[in-house]
Amino acid sequence: MHTSRSNLVSGLRVFIVEDEALVMMNLEAMLEDLGCVLAGSAMRPAQLEASIARGIDADVAILDVNLGGTLVFDYARALVDSGMRIVFATGYGRGGLPEEWRDRPILQKPYTEQEVAEGIAAALALAR
Amino acid sequence: MSIDYGRLFAALPSPHMVLDHNFNYVAVNPAYEAVVMRSGSELIGRNLFDLFPNEGEGGKRLRASFTRVFETGKQDTLAYIPYDIPRPEAQGGGMEQRFWTAVHTPLADENGAIAYLVQNTVDVTDIARLRQAASLPFASKAGETRLLERAREAEQQHQALLAESDEFRRLFQLAPGFFAVLSGPTHVFVFANDAYGKLVGNRPVIGQPVKEALPEVVEQGFVALLDAVYRTGKPAGGEAVRLMLQRGPEEAPKETYLDFSYDAIRNRDGEITGIFVQGMDRTEAVRTQQRQKLLLDELNHRVKNTLATVQSIASQTLRAIDDPVEAKTRFEARLRALSNAHNLLSEREWASTSLSTILSQELSIYESSRVAAKGPAVTLSPKTSIAIAMVVHELATNAAKHGALAGDDGSLRVDWQKRGDRLMLDWTERGGPPARPPERRGFGSRLIERVVNGELGGEIETRYDAAGFSCTIDVPNPEYEEQVL
Repeated sequence: MHTSRSNLVSGLRVFIVEDEALVMMNLEAMLEDLGCVLAGSAMRPAQLEASIARGIDADVAILDVNLGGTLVFDYARALVDSGMRIVFATGYGRGGLPEEWRDRPILQKPYTEQEVAEGIAAALALAR
Repeated sequence: MSIDYGRLFAALPSPHMVLDHNFNYVAVNPAYEAVVMRSGSELIGRNLFDLFPNEGEGGKRLRASFTRVFETGKQDTLAYIPYDIPRPEAQGGGMEQRFWTAVHTPLADENGAIAYLVQNTVDVTDIARLRQAASLPFASKAGETRLLERAREAEQQHQALLAESDEFRRLFQLAPGFFAVLSGPTHVFVFANDAYGKLVGNRPVIGQPVKEALPEVVEQGFVALLDAVYRTGKPAGGEAVRLMLQRGPEEAPKETYLDFSYDAIRNRDGEITGIFVQGMDRTEAVRTQQRQKLLLDELNHRVKNTLATVQSIASQTLRAIDDPVEAKTRFEARLRALSNAHNLLSEREWASTSLSTILSQELSIYESSRVAAKGPAVTLSPKTSIAIAMVVHELATNAAKHGALAGDDGSLRVDWQKRGDRLMLDWTERGGPPARPPERRGFGSRLIERVVNGELGGEIETRYDAAGFSCTIDVPNPEYEEQVL
C-alpha cells in the first residue's frame, strides 16, 4: 500500500487541526499508516491558540479551514510566521481560500491517504 | 401701374418654387436656387423626387403633403421635416443633412382646377443644430417652440409633433429601466424618468449638474467617467457595478448594484452635446445571487464534511472489525445514527435541535420500559447534535452488546442537568452483567473521548462496577450551546 510518496513523509512530525472528531480520527489513522509522528492536535480555536502560545514542535501542520464557525486563517498566519509549513483541509475547495493562501497545498474533503502524503510533501517543497 | 409678378417672385427673399401635378418644377426663385444649391436650368421641367431622391420618412411626408394639396385644394404645412439633399460635385459631392419647414399652397387655374402648388420653404438646419440632444425626443420645449414660431402656420402640426414627442416621453417616463439625459460638459439633467427618480431617492435632479444633484457619486468616479464619455464619445458602462447611492431623502448612501451605460449624444455636426444614461437597478438580483452562492458554498461544505465523516466511519469500522458481516452491520448502524441526526436537523432547517430529541431518537429502538431519559431543555448546535448523536449511538451499542440492554432484565437511565455554565450528563446501566473495562480501546470509546474532550472541550468519567457500567459527561456551556456549524 505504501507508495514512494509516503516514504517521503515517513517520520515527519505532523500537527493537526480538525474540529470533527470522526474526521480527525481518520486523519490520525492515515498519518499513522504513512509513518508520520503525531505531534499534537487541536479541535477548537481556544486549544489551537494555547498550542501556538506554547509552541508547536512539528514539521507540518494540517489545518481545517472552518473550526466550528471560526476561520483558521489568523492562526495559519501565526504558524507560518513562526516558520511552520502548512496544508489546508476544507470542504469548500480552493475557491474558499482567501487570495493570499491559494498557493498553499490543500486537501479537499473527503481526502485519501495518498492525497495527505502529497499535501505534506508539497508543503515541504514550497517551504524550501 | 401694374406689378411684374415674375420679378416679384424672383425678388422674394424666402425660397419659393412651383410644382405641377407630376411634381415637376415649373418655377423657382433665386433664394430657392441658393438653398438647394442648384440653378433654375437644372431644375425646371424635372421631377423633384428624381433630383432629390429620398426613400426615408422625409420623402414620404413631403410626397404626402403635395398629394394632400392637389387632392383637397387646401394649404398644407410641414412644420419640421428632415430631408437630406445631394451636395453638387463642385462642392465635394455627397449628401448634406438638412431640416426644413415648408408651406404648400395650391394654385388654381381660370376654371378653378388645381394645376400647381407653390412651396415656400425655410431651411431650419441651423436652428435644429442649436437644439441640445437633437437626436432625441427630449429637446426642451422652449427650443422646439422657437423653431416652430418660424413656421407660423404650423400650429396644428406643432401639436402633432409635441404629441409625438410626449408619446416618447411617456414611454421613457414609465419604462422599467432608468433613463436620464444629461446636457453639456457639466452633465446637467434635462430628463430623468420615474425609475431614475426611484434610483436616486426621488431627489430633484432636473436642471442640476450631476455633481450637485448626486454629490455622493463624485468620489466614486462616475463624474470622471461621464467627463471621459463627453470628451471622447466612447460609450462607457458596466454590469452589476457596485456603488453607494442615497436611496431616500436624508438617508445614508446604500450599497447598490447597477447595469448601466453612458452614450454620447451628438448633434447633426457630430459634436457631443450630452450623454444618454440608461440602465437597470440590479441590487435585488445581485443580493439574491450572493445569498444563493453562500447557500451553495455552505451546502457544498456540509456535503464534503459529511462525506469525510462517512469515510471515517467506514475506514475505522473496517479497520477495527475483521469479520466482514459484523463490520457491515456496525457500519450500517453508525451510518444510520448519523443519518438520523441529519434528519432531525433537516426537519428544523439546520437551526438547532434539543438534547432530549437526539437521545429519544437514538434510544427508541430499545424497549421503552427499560430506558429512561430525563433532563431540562438543552439546545444543541447542528455540529454538536451530530457529535452527541454519535456518542449516544456508541454508548447504546455497547449497552446492547455487553451491558444492561444485552440481557432481559437490565435498564438504562440517562439524566442531565445544567450546572452553572456546564452540562452534566449521567449514563447509568443497572441490572445487567457486571461491567469490566475493555481489554483494548475500540473505535467507540475513542470516538466518545474525542468528541467529549476534543470537540466539546469537556471531560468524561467512566466507571466499570459490578452493578453495571456508568459514566458522567461534563461539557462547558458555550461549547455545546452557542457553537455554530
